[in-house]
Formats: sequence, C-alpha cells, structure tokens
Amino acid sequence: MTRAARILLVDDEASIQRAVAPLLRSRGYEVETVGSGSDALRVASERPPDLVVLDLGLPDLDGVEVCRRIRKVSTVPIIVLSARSNEVDKVAALDLGADDYVTKPFSPEELLARIRVALRRVFTGDEPEVGRLSVADLTIDFDRRRVTRADEEIRLTPKEFELLALFAHNPDRVLTHRTILKAIWGANAVDNPEHLWVLVGQLRKKIEPDPIHPQYLLSEPWVGYRLVTEPLTTP
Amino acid sequence: MVLTSQRPSWRHFVPAVLAIAVITVAYRDWLHVTNATIVALTYLLVVLLVAASSHLWVAVLTSCLAMAAFNFFFLPPVGTLTIADPQNWVALIAFLTVSLVASRLSALAQDRQHEASARRDELARLFDLSRDILLSTDSKEALPLLARFIARRFELDYAAICLPHGTAWNIFNAGSDDLKLDESQLTLAFDSAQRSLEFDAQTRTYTGHRTVVIGAWEVRLVPLRLGTKPLGLLAAAGRAVEAGTLDALAGVVAIAIERAQFLEERKGAELARQSEELKSALLASLAHDLRTPLTAIRVAASNLQGTWLTDDQRREQSELVLAEVERLTRLFQNILEMARIDAGAILAEQQWVHPSEIVEAAEALVEHALRGHPIEVQVDGQELVRLDPRLTASALAHLLENAAQYSYAGAPVAVRCQTIGSELFITVRDHGAGISAGDLPKLFERFYRGSGSKGRVSGTGMGLSIARGLLAAEHGRVSAENCVDGGALFTIVVPVQIKASNAEGVAR
Repeated sequence: MTRAARILLVDDEASIQRAVAPLLRSRGYEVETVGSGSDALRVASERPPDLVVLDLGLPDLDGVEVCRRIRKVSTVPIIVLSARSNEVDKVAALDLGADDYVTKPFSPEELLARIRVALRRVFTGDEPEVGRLSVADLTIDFDRRRVTRADEEIRLTPKEFELLALFAHNPDRVLTHRTILKAIWGANAVDNPEHLWVLVGQLRKKIEPDPIHPQYLLSEPWVGYRLVTEPLTTP
Repeated sequence: MVLTSQRPSWRHFVPAVLAIAVITVAYRDWLHVTNATIVALTYLLVVLLVAASSHLWVAVLTSCLAMAAFNFFFLPPVGTLTIADPQNWVALIAFLTVSLVASRLSALAQDRQHEASARRDELARLFDLSRDILLSTDSKEALPLLARFIARRFELDYAAICLPHGTAWNIFNAGSDDLKLDESQLTLAFDSAQRSLEFDAQTRTYTGHRTVVIGAWEVRLVPLRLGTKPLGLLAAAGRAVEAGTLDALAGVVAIAIERAQFLEERKGAELARQSEELKSALLASLAHDLRTPLTAIRVAASNLQGTWLTDDQRREQSELVLAEVERLTRLFQNILEMARIDAGAILAEQQWVHPSEIVEAAEALVEHALRGHPIEVQVDGQELVRLDPRLTASALAHLLENAAQYSYAGAPVAVRCQTIGSELFITVRDHGAGISAGDLPKLFERFYRGSGSKGRVSGTGMGLSIARGLLAAEHGRVSAENCVDGGALFTIVVPVQIKASNAEGVAR
C-alpha cells in the first residue's frame, strides 16, 4: 500500500459520521463523508474511492439502488451498514454486488476488520483463474481440479469442487444463497436452497477438521456463506 | 268504530232500545203503518246498525227486543205475543234469523278488526324493539339493555333474558317487578326446547313454551331460537302477549344476542389488531431509533479509549456520546409517557401558574432539540391560570421539539399564549415546509410520520400522539394547520380557571 486508502462513508446520521470518520482516520484511512445517496453517487464518480461504507437507510435514494448504480460503473468494494429491520435490503444489496455487511449497532473492530479484508482484495488484485490457490491450509489446483491439505488429497465431486472454487475466488466475502445457487446450478435453481444446504454439508465434511464447528466455511444466518482465510480475531 | 278490549257496557244497549221505541211509536201512533214488511225491514236496519257498532250480545238483545215489539204491536192479533196467522210465524222467524246472522257477521268482522289492530300493535312494538337493538352499539351493555327494551316496548311488568352458562344461568332482568326465576325450571324448559322443534300450525308456535307460576305472576318462558338452535330463554310476565308474538319476539331477541356477541368479538379482534399494529410499529420504530445512537455511542466510546485522539477530538467524541445519550433518554421518556397514557395512569394535578412558566418549563425539557432555533415567546395578559402545568408543559415540549425538527436550520419558532374565555390557547408556529394535506388528518396518530419526513428527519412518530394524550388527560386538545405564508401552526387548547395575578402569584 503506497498511499492511504480512500473510504467514502455514506450515512445520513450526523452522529454516525462524527463517530466513525475519526475512527477510520485514526487507522490511516482517508475519509470522505456524505449524507445522501445522490451525493454518494456524485463523489463516487468524481473522486473514485477505494472502498464505500454505505448505510442502507438513506433519505433520498434507497441504499440498494445506490449500491446497484455504483456497481454498474465500478468494482469498488462496498460494505453495507444495515439494521435488523432491513434484513431484506441487506440481502438485496449483497445480491447486487455489495461485498460485505455490518449490522448496527456494530463494534468498531468489526467494521475495521471487514474494511481490512475488503481492501486486501483490492490491493492484492484478483487471483488468476488458472493455476493454484491456497486458502488456509488447503491448496486448490484449478488445472488438475485437485484439492490437497498437507499433501494429502481430498477427493471432491465436480459440484463440490465448483463450490469450493467459487468461494476460493471470493475469499472472506459473503456470498448470498442466491448468488451461489445461480453460479453452481444456474438461474432456475435460486428457489431451491436445499441443494445448497446439502452440498455445503458434504463439502464441510471433507474440508473442515471439525464439520460440526466449521472454521473455514461459515454460515451467515439468513444471508449466505463466507470462506474465511484467516480467523477474524480482534487485533 | 269503537275499538276497545274492555267489557261491553250497558251504554251500547240504551240507544238501541230508544231507537226501537221511537220506530214503534212512530209507525203505530203517528204514521199508522200496518205493513209488516216495512216495519220488519226498519227494525232490521236498527239491529244491523247496532251489530255494526257494538258487541254481539247487544245486537242479539236488540234482535230479541225488536222481534217482541214487532210481534206485540204489529202482528195480528195486535196487543198480544200470540200470532194468529201461521204465515206471520214464518215472517217472525225469518226476521229473527236474519237479525241474528247479521249480528254474528258484524261481530266477526269486528273481531277480525280487533285482531288485526292488535297484530299491528305488536308488530309496531317488535319493530320499535328491532330499531332499539340496531341503534345500540355498546356490546357490553347490550343484554341488560335488551331486557329493558323488551319490558318497555311490550309494556311487560317483568322481562328477562336467560342464557345458559355451563350449568348455571346468566339472567338479565328488567321491568317494574323483580322476580326470582327458578334455575331448575329454566333448565327444564331449555332442555325440552332443545329436544323438540315441531311447529304447531294451530297456534303458529314452536313447542317449548312453558308457563311457571312465581308468586302472583304467571311467567311465560319462550325459547330464544336462532334458526332452530335454542340460545336461551325469554321470560315474560304481566300484559298478555300472544304466543305467536312471543315467538317472533324471541326470534328478534336471539338475533340481538347473536349481534351483541358478534360486536363483542369484532371489538376484540379490532383491539387485538390495533395492539398488534402498535407493537410492530413500536418495534420498527425502536429498531430504527435505537440503533443509530447505540452505534454512535459504541464507536465514540471506543474512540475515547484510544490514545490517538487530540484534545479537540476527545471533546468532540465525548460531546457526541452525551448528545446521543440525551437522544436515548428522550426516547425512553417518550416510551414511558406513552405507556402511562395507555394505562390511563395520567392524572391532572391543577395549580395556579402564569402561562410563561409553562413555556419556560417546556423549553427546558427539550433544550437539546431546540439548539439553533431561537424561541420567540409572546404571552398576552398577566392573568394566572389553573391547570396541570406539568402535563401542559410536557405536551408543549413535544410541539416545540417537532417544530424545531421540521424547521429549516436556524429558523425561529414562535410561541404565543393567550386566554380566551375560560380556555388557554398556546400556539406554536414554525418556519418549515408545513404539513401536506394528506398528513393532516393522521398527524396525531401514534407512530404516524409525515410522508415527506421519513428518513429526512429522525423521529419516532410518538411526540404528537403523546402531546394529544397528555392534553386529553386534562380535557385539553391540540390541532394543526398550515399558515398562509408557510410553516405549520399547532394550537394547544386547555380549559382553565383564570384569576388576575397579584405580586405573590407571579413571584418565582
């Protein structure tokens, strides 16, 4: 990282801006705050940020709509701030390409950790489609469709491999049920989440040291799954 | 036509006797009419008139008298009750038969008339009763009221609606005489009503009618049937009411009972729905209004733990925490006040104050929210008013907070107090966007938020409804309107006693 990452904080509540902006600045980020969806879109196009922290409850534009419009023109990571009351909006935003979410009231460390993970992807760049990929202690060889842990091969069915590969390409990122179903089974399967439950169960049995208490493939209740590459501990 | 149900009096007989006497004297002594046919027809005329206007027995007596007079004065041998010519026997018997038949027909017609009028009368009573039932909407008082309606409309000395309740009976009495109904008799009557349903075509009634004697009263028990299902019993004593009418009455009462139960259920369902709506609105509102201050406090407090803050930043963060705590406190107070309003736990405590004290107290309550909005206060007059100053100030505080929230930054809020008649008027005028026409009727409903305000202005939708609730506790009211030159005008009106202030009165 040669320069400070620029974060665009979008929240109409002045108190949130006044608390969160200094926090982010103290960790070396450059922060710009706006209070409305239209301002967010304007700033995002004029001075493209490295990351957007977006509150879903905005006065003018729906947060989901802001998310969609930003995604149309940019791949900038978006972290959604949501409340329990707009669970549906949260999933919609993730489906539309938001990278992650934090539920209010959140702890500062939680937000910072999500921002770190999202930014790491930006600054390390996307992994190549071919070749090898290491996730935690697993090594995935895309060319030969092999997965090994400590040189010991784990035999996966084609569907299981596809699912693991999908997560491996989006490490530490929440993938919604819908996104996964669409990627693995096609658009017609989005209403049949039971496929996914079964497949995730099978995959966990093979890759998790303890499938009952998964460490890598974590559930995000009611939202989706996330492949964690490093445990999310408070620094 | 005379329509009475009283016993016929001799008064009806006197004109008949007179008429016969007059005809007899006129024909025999003045006109010297000896033609038996003319005389007989004239007598018959009298008998018919009597039968048409009086009772059967008067007509029969008149017929007999006329026959005797005819025989004695006109049929030879005149002066005796004997008849010489056998042909005259035929005339006499024909006369008697015609007059008796005519009397009987006329009496029958009259009876029909009586019956029809009685029916009409009962029908009118039933109709009045139905109207009473339809007009009563209070389901709780419905049954005792219904019993009273029955007693009044049917002029009964006693009426009762008896509904089985497990093995016991709920009895709703009405009428001038209070009778003690025997529950075992009721159960017996009800059981027989449940068993049999046959319709008796002769008396046009269903079975199950019973008469029980209690003290000096004959009490009639009639099953209350909805369709064929008996719901309970109707007890009636006093004025004789026809069995058919009683059945019809019982039918109406059964429908009324069903209606009362339906109203009760609907009210319950409505209340449940409202409370459900309130609960979900409260939850949504809480989720929205708690999460922001909580998040801000959490982040700011953890910022304060950091060592990286400058003194200015540290002050800023602690101010932020305090402001958000203030916001939570206000929210908490609102919820508490709302709960007190709901529980009816607000009692007005009146005391003498000067209106300006109320405004000052209100300003102090929402000092935080008013920051940046100068308050222009105008108090007309120096009178003291007697009201509950805390309720009024609290209600005014909600209006001030509302005005500040919906005003453009820095815009003043004008408060004016004046007493008109025996009422204190407090107006709050803001310089905001005003109230849209669609919002006006619902403005004071709980959790209602103006259509333009959602998201733009943080608020719970509780303030104005609380203001209304607080004022209602002291019989006051609040209304809202738009000013011609922009902004909204809220008016609080509280009934007060007024007295001229003296030095002690205004000393604070």
